Amino acid sequence: MESQPAPGEVAGNDSSRGLLRTAWDFSFRMVLRYIKNSYKDDPFRTFLEVCLIAFIIWYITKQKYNIGNNEIVLSEKEIDELVEEWNPEPLVPELTAFERETLEKAIVIDGPNGTRVRLASGSNTKPLINFASYNFLGFLDNPQIEEHAYETLRKYGVGSCGPPGFYGTLDVHMELEKQVAAFVGHSAAILYSQAFTTTLSVIPCFSKRGDIIVADEGVNFSIQQAIMLSRSKVHWYKHNDMADLERVLNEVNVQLTNRRGKKALPRKFIVTEGLFQNTGDIAPLDELVDLKHRYKFRIILDESYSFGVLGKRGAGLTDHYSINPHEVDLLIGALCYAIGASGGFCCADKELVEHQRLSGLGYCFSASMPGILTVAASDAIQVLETNPDNYLVSMRENATLLRSLLKRIPGLQVEGDTDSPLIHIRLTPETLVRMKRSGGAWTNTDIDRVLVELTEEAQKDGVLLTPSRYVDEHERLLPNSSIRICVSSAHTRKEIEKCAHAVKSAVSRITSKKR
Amino acid sequence: MGKGQRATQVYKSTEFIEQRRDEDGLVVGSDPFKLAPSSSASLLETEKAAAAAAAATTTTESAETAASPDAAAAAAKHSGERTSELDTVPTFILVTTYLSYLMLIVFAHLRDFFGKLRHPEEYVQLREQNGWAPMVSDFESLWTRRLYGRIRDCFNRPITGVAGGHVDLLERVSHDFNKSFEFTGRVRNVLNLASYNYLGFAQSEGPCADKVEAAMREHGLTQASTRAEAGCSQLLVETEEMVARFVGTEAALIVSMGYATNALNIPALVGRGCLILSDELNHSSLVSGARLSGASIRVFRHNDVASLEAELRRSITQGQPRTHRPWKKILVVVEGLYSMEGEFCRLPEIVALRRRYGFYLFVDEAHSIGALGKRGRGVCDHFGVNPHEVDVLMGTFTKSFGAAGGYIAGSRALVSHLRLKSHSAVYAEAMSVPVLAQVSSSMRMIMGEDREHALEGQQRLDQLAVNARYFARRLAEMGFMTMGDAGSPVVPLLLFSPAKIPAFSRECLKRNVAVVVVSYPATPIITGRVRFCISASHTRADLDYALEQVSEIGDLLMLKFHKGDASAKRVAELEGASRIKTE
Repeated sequence: MESQPAPGEVAGNDSSRGLLRTAWDFSFRMVLRYIKNSYKDDPFRTFLEVCLIAFIIWYITKQKYNIGNNEIVLSEKEIDELVEEWNPEPLVPELTAFERETLEKAIVIDGPNGTRVRLASGSNTKPLINFASYNFLGFLDNPQIEEHAYETLRKYGVGSCGPPGFYGTLDVHMELEKQVAAFVGHSAAILYSQAFTTTLSVIPCFSKRGDIIVADEGVNFSIQQAIMLSRSKVHWYKHNDMADLERVLNEVNVQLTNRRGKKALPRKFIVTEGLFQNTGDIAPLDELVDLKHRYKFRIILDESYSFGVLGKRGAGLTDHYSINPHEVDLLIGALCYAIGASGGFCCADKELVEHQRLSGLGYCFSASMPGILTVAASDAIQVLETNPDNYLVSMRENATLLRSLLKRIPGLQVEGDTDSPLIHIRLTPETLVRMKRSGGAWTNTDIDRVLVELTEEAQKDGVLLTPSRYVDEHERLLPNSSIRICVSSAHTRKEIEKCAHAVKSAVSRITSKKR
Repeated sequence: MGKGQRATQVYKSTEFIEQRRDEDGLVVGSDPFKLAPSSSASLLETEKAAAAAAAATTTTESAETAASPDAAAAAAKHSGERTSELDTVPTFILVTTYLSYLMLIVFAHLRDFFGKLRHPEEYVQLREQNGWAPMVSDFESLWTRRLYGRIRDCFNRPITGVAGGHVDLLERVSHDFNKSFEFTGRVRNVLNLASYNYLGFAQSEGPCADKVEAAMREHGLTQASTRAEAGCSQLLVETEEMVARFVGTEAALIVSMGYATNALNIPALVGRGCLILSDELNHSSLVSGARLSGASIRVFRHNDVASLEAELRRSITQGQPRTHRPWKKILVVVEGLYSMEGEFCRLPEIVALRRRYGFYLFVDEAHSIGALGKRGRGVCDHFGVNPHEVDVLMGTFTKSFGAAGGYIAGSRALVSHLRLKSHSAVYAEAMSVPVLAQVSSSMRMIMGEDREHALEGQQRLDQLAVNARYFARRLAEMGFMTMGDAGSPVVPLLLFSPAKIPAFSRECLKRNVAVVVVSYPATPIITGRVRFCISASHTRADLDYALEQVSEIGDLLMLKFHKGDASAKRVAELEGASRIKTE
C-alpha cells in the first residue's frame, strides 16, 4: 500500500532529463554560432532580422481591434457608481388579479386520480366525474396494474439513483424498450423519464444548427421548445394544410439547389404531431409520407397524445393509417397519458436509438425512470395488446357520443377530429359578442375568466373539466382559449350524457348572465 | 439552539437502529440500514453509539455555531488557497496523455480510411445518398464509433433490483468488439460505488418502502395530467410544503424530472434583455435551460469568484451589447456541489457579491441537498448561509432521497409565479405518487419528524460524512491524486491517460466493485477520472475492501502520482478543512 517509487522509474526520469539538457545545450550553441557567422558575413541582414522580430513582438502584443466591441473604458470609481445605480427588475413580476384567482381556484385532487375523483378544495365532497386527465383508456384505476406495482416496489425500490449510463439501466427498462418497439412495429426504442423532455431531447439530438425543420403551426409547446433548442432553421406551414406544406418544401428545396456547391446538404425534417394536443386534430400521415419521399424530408412525429389512442391496436397514427412505422424516421410517444405510467419513448432505427444513448440530453443527464412506473407501463401496454377492443372501441363510442351531444349545444364550438377522444370546446364568437352587452371588446383574460366560470358551473353538476393552460407569452402562436375534454373508455354512457348535460346547462347559465 | 436540541430529545424517546461502530466511526457488519429498529430497551447502547457517532463526526458543534460567519469565511479562504490539482501534475503524464489521445485519433482516422476502402457498405449511413443527408455526420460520429466504441462496455451496464450499497449487475459479454452485447444470464452482486445513493435511501424494504406502498394503495399510481390542469393532488401540495420547510424557504414547486427542473424553469425567470452568468462547469440541464430562456449567456471560470466579479462589473457597467441598455436582470447560476469535481461552490463569497451587486442567485443543489451540511440541508447548511440569501434553490430527489424528479424553492412570490408560468408546471406531467411518497417519507426521516424512526435520518447523515471523509483520506494517504473538498460524498480520482480509464473500470468490475469512469467530453480532455460515490449504507468492510482493490489497481496502472510530501499535504488539506469546521 505504501507508494515507494520504483528504482527503475527514477532512473528513467533522470536519464530523460539528461537527454533534454543535452538537446537544449546543443541547439543553443547552434543558434549562437549561426548568429556569429551571419554577423561576420552580413551585419545588415542581422539588423533586418532584429527589426523583424521586434515588429512581430509589437504586432502580437498590441491592442486588438474588435469590430463588434463598443465597450466604454471606465475608471474604477465610475464603475462603482454605475454598480450602485443599477436597478434590476424584480426576479418575478407581481401576479395579476386573474393569476391570483387561478392559483386560488386550482384543482387539487384528494386521493387517486381516475375516472372519478374527489377534490380537496371546496365544500364539494361528492366525487366528480373526471374529464380533465388524459386517462383515455382508464388505466389510472386499473387494480391489476396497481397490484403488480406493489410487487415491483419490493424488488426495485423507487428511484434508480443514477442516469442510465451510470448503472441506472434496469432490466425492466430494456424489456419495456423491446416491448414498445414491437408494439409500434419499429426497430428499436429508447425510454426517457418525462414526456415533455422526450421531444425536447430527440429533436436537438438530430437536427443541429444549419439543418432545416419544416413544422406545423399547431404543434404543442414541447415541439416548439425543442425546435428552439436545436437552433435549426425553421419554416412553419399552416396547420394540417398539406398544400401549404408542399409549397414550403418546394421553396426549401429550391433554395437548397441554388445554394449548393461547396456546402454539405443539411438534414431536412418535417415535424408534426399525431393527435394535436391543442386542437384534437389528426395529422394526415398518408399524405405526409408521400411528400416525404417526393421532397426527401424525414418525418419526426410526436405521438405523445395518439400513442395508445389511435389505430385498431392503439399503436398510434401509423396504425390508424396502416402505414409501415418505418416511414416515420423518429417516432416520439408518451407513456404518461393514455398508458397511465410515466415518461416517454422514441422509436427509430437501431443506430439512431444508439446515437441517442450518448447524445440525447434528457437520457444522458437525468436519472432513469423508476422501476415501478416502467413495469406499470409495460403492464398497461400488455393489457392493451391482448384486448384492444375492450378499451379502444368503448373509448371511440364514448368520444363520438359526447361529440355529437356537444355539437347540439347552441353557442358552443366543438373542435377536433371525429376519431379524437380529445375534444376542445369554446364559446362561439357570436355568443361572446351577444354576452357583452356593454359593447366593449373581449380580452383574452375575459375569455379565460368565462371558461373558468364554465368549468366551475360544470363542477356543481358533478363533472370535472379544465381549461387548457398555456404560458401565453412563450407560445409562438397562442391557441384560442378552450376547455379540453378527455373522454375515457372507463366512462359509462350515463356519465357521458351527464357531462354533455352539465356543459349545456353551464353554457346557458353563463351566457344568460349580464356583464 | 432551536431545532437541533429538540431533535435530540426526540431521539432519546424513540427507537434507533443498533449498529456496531469502530474507532473511525464506520459501521461494522452488514448493511447498516437494512436492520429493523431494535426496541427502546437497549437505550444504553443507543446512547453509546450516539456518542461514538458524535465523536466520529468531526462537526460536534451545533449547526448554529459552525454557521458563524467567521468559520465559513475561514473555510472558504482555505479552499481558495488550495492549489489546483492540475498544477502538480507531472509533465511526463500531461505529455503522454495528450500523445495517447493524438494516437487514438490518428488510429481512428486510419481505421476509418481502411474501413471505407474495404467495407464501403458499412459506411453508407455516413454519406449523403440520393439527396438524403446522413442522420449522423461522419465527423460527429468519429468519436462515438472509434473512441467511445472501444470502451462501451464500461457504460450503460444494466442492473436489476435496487442500486443500494451493493447492486446486482447483469453480466454481459461482447464478441464483436463492443458493437453488441450478449447476456450470459448470470447476475453478479457487486459493491456499488457508482450510484448517487448518498443516504442509502435506495431500498425496497424498510419504513420508506412501506410508506410508499401505503401511499400507492391510497392515492393510486400517477396523475396523467399536468400540475396546472388536473394533476395536482393533495399529496403533492403537502410534499411541496415539506420540501419548503426542509430547505428553509417560503414555498417550493415539485417537478417530475431532474433535468426538466432546470431546463423548463429557467425560461420562466429570465428572458430577452436579461443576462445569465454561468459557471463553466455547470450541468447540461442548466445550459439547456439558459439557452431556452433566450437570455444572453456569459461564462465565468469554474469556482472563481474574482472572475465572476470582474464579469459582473463589466456586464453591469457596459449593459447590453451594442445598445448599452442596462440588463433587466442578471441571474448567476452555480451548482452547490459539482458532481464531476466533488467541489463545493464558494457560496459565502458569492452571497457577499450578491449583496453588493444586486444580481439574482440560482443554486443547483442536485447533489448537495441531503448530502451536505450537519442537518443535510445542502450547501447553505454546510456554509451556514441563510437560505433566504439565495433567490432560487433548485435540487433533485434522485440522489439523497432515493426518489426521482426535483424541486425549485424560494420566496412565495417566486413559486407562485412558477406554478403559473413554468413550462414544467403547465406542460409536463405531474409527479407520480410512489415518487412523492418516497420523497416525503425519506425527508421526514432526515428531519427527525418521523416519530418511529426519529434518529435514523441523523444517523444516516453522520454516517455519510464519516464514510466520505474516511474514503477520501485513505485514498490521499495511498498517494492517489484525488479532487474535491473534504466531506464531499463524491470523490473523483484522476486517471489522466485514456487507456487507464477503461482499464480501471474493468479491473474494478473484475474485483466486484462498480465504479463510474468519466472522460472527455464530460470532463476536460486531460483529466479523465474515476468517480466514487460514497453512501451511508457502506460499512467499514465495504470501504476497506474497495480501498484495498483500488490500491492494487493503482499499483497496476501506476496511478499513485503523489509521493511522500505531496500525499501528506493532501491528507493535511482534507483534514485541515474539517478542523476549521470544528473550531
